[in-house]
Amino acid sequence: MKLFWLQLKGEMRKLFARKRTFIGFGAFLVFEIVILFLLRLDKVQATFRSVVEKAGYDGLEYFSGLTIAFLVVVWTVFLLEALFLALVAGDVVSKEVEDGSLRMILCRPVSRGRILLLKGVVSCFYTFALTGFVMLTALVVACLYKGMGAMFIYEPFEKVFVFHEFWPGLFRYLLAFPILSLSLCTITALAFCLSCFNMKPSAATIITLSVLFADFILKSVPFFESIRELFITRRISLWVHVFDTRIPWEMMVENFAWLGAINATLFLIGWMVFEQRDFKS
Amino acid sequence: MVRLEKLSKSFRGRPALSELSLTIERGEIFGLLGHNGAGKSTTFGMMLGHVHPDAGEAFIAGHSVQRERALALSRVGAIFETPAFYDYMSGWQNLRFFVSLSGMVSEDRLKEAVRMVRLEERIHDPVRTYSHGMRQRLALAQALLPDPEFILLDEPTEGLDPEGIHEMRGMIRELRDQHGLTVMLSSHLLAEVEVLCDRVAILDRGRLVFCGSWKSGDPRWKLDLDDWPRARTIFNAVGATLTEPDMVTLPPHLDMADLVTSLVEAGLKVRSVEPRRATLEDFYMEHISR
Repeated sequence: MKLFWLQLKGEMRKLFARKRTFIGFGAFLVFEIVILFLLRLDKVQATFRSVVEKAGYDGLEYFSGLTIAFLVVVWTVFLLEALFLALVAGDVVSKEVEDGSLRMILCRPVSRGRILLLKGVVSCFYTFALTGFVMLTALVVACLYKGMGAMFIYEPFEKVFVFHEFWPGLFRYLLAFPILSLSLCTITALAFCLSCFNMKPSAATIITLSVLFADFILKSVPFFESIRELFITRRISLWVHVFDTRIPWEMMVENFAWLGAINATLFLIGWMVFEQRDFKS
Repeated sequence: MVRLEKLSKSFRGRPALSELSLTIERGEIFGLLGHNGAGKSTTFGMMLGHVHPDAGEAFIAGHSVQRERALALSRVGAIFETPAFYDYMSGWQNLRFFVSLSGMVSEDRLKEAVRMVRLEERIHDPVRTYSHGMRQRLALAQALLPDPEFILLDEPTEGLDPEGIHEMRGMIRELRDQHGLTVMLSSHLLAEVEVLCDRVAILDRGRLVFCGSWKSGDPRWKLDLDDWPRARTIFNAVGATLTEPDMVTLPPHLDMADLVTSLVEAGLKVRSVEPRRATLEDFYMEHISR
């Protein structure tokens, strides 16, 4: 076990020593600032106020740091975070194969399964780290801009429309971190699985994003409303229900069982492919 | 130390290696030769478990690479022609990472390996700032950790300048002579292999065409005489063979000194006698073209 931790530390160091890993962190920070700038515009604020006031609440009270943090997260996570997760997880095996460093690793008396497990754990850690960074910076920057106040959640796709006072809202926001991170692990798992195949790192990233976008489009087709639960993007987007007045835990657990099964299947496929592959110069 | 048993491999139906069998004794420096695509890298790949053989098995220190990979590779180090390190990390961080995959190694042992390859001054610099020679030395350091008995070197001098080649050659010798390691290397530089290796194997289109000591061939002698017709009669009488107009091969029982005595006693003037041993290149070309 001690050796596993040592090896895991080495994999972590490798991931976080590359500049490329931090592109996502930088991009999110810039994007958050852009969103905050746009939210300062009078027209945007008027639209926001009208939505809140139609529900009988005070628009100004709910235009708070927590609300803005949620908006930043919900707008950025699906497209932008999916892109960076696919970029990093799609690289994790295939880039090492392409560079030749995997052959050097495989000269060591360590099993292929263990190497893959280490890389899988590191990829999941990256998912949590990036999500945590996005959520934390969104909260800090938004609170600095608008201060603490009550929270308003409006997510039309999942039909979530709720109001929370500051402390309960903050608690839900913090609770959303592990739930969202776990949900996003499926994107990581897909890119990771593809990266185990004999393909270029960019191909693994592009295929992952293509699958997600295709899934998203299909999910949005009205005729497929009755089978929406079968789409990955639908499963991933269920995290917003953590803000429901009463959290639907039963649905959450069932959802994580689905996503867990998908992740395990993707990992197994990746592992089987990786075990069978020949690595030659 | 190493035993390859009928290793075969095809890629998309094209045979890359056919029933390769050979053994390497402990403490030997063994050369693997062959043209591009002859099967050298495939052989190395199968010995390290990178490539799954279609048939056959490779054994290192008595353990099957295919069935007990971790045990078989526990005392093996390897270097490839272009060592792929993580450029954005320092040499020291790279070493620590690769070594962690083999087990726990003390800082002192790491420092010792760095000292041995003479990289102490630059070991904490990022690898992207290293020259090719320094990368090769770092590769050697990682191959020496934690404590190998057998080292595989795939084109270890490829891309090195003359000083680098000289240095690498010295280090390979040191591995065997001072550390008692068994070394297997592949190289296109036949002069390099000639200087370093005790035995060689030659692969041609995936088939083993020679395995053994290439130096075992009988030496040939270049003679400068005044009367070749009379000399020919004497050669026939003692069993020597005239292979070229002025080149003689002796039978195992005959010493050149005895032949020269016979020639001089017969009244011939022997102006010069020069041993001409075939180079590894001659030997290699002879086997490849068969």
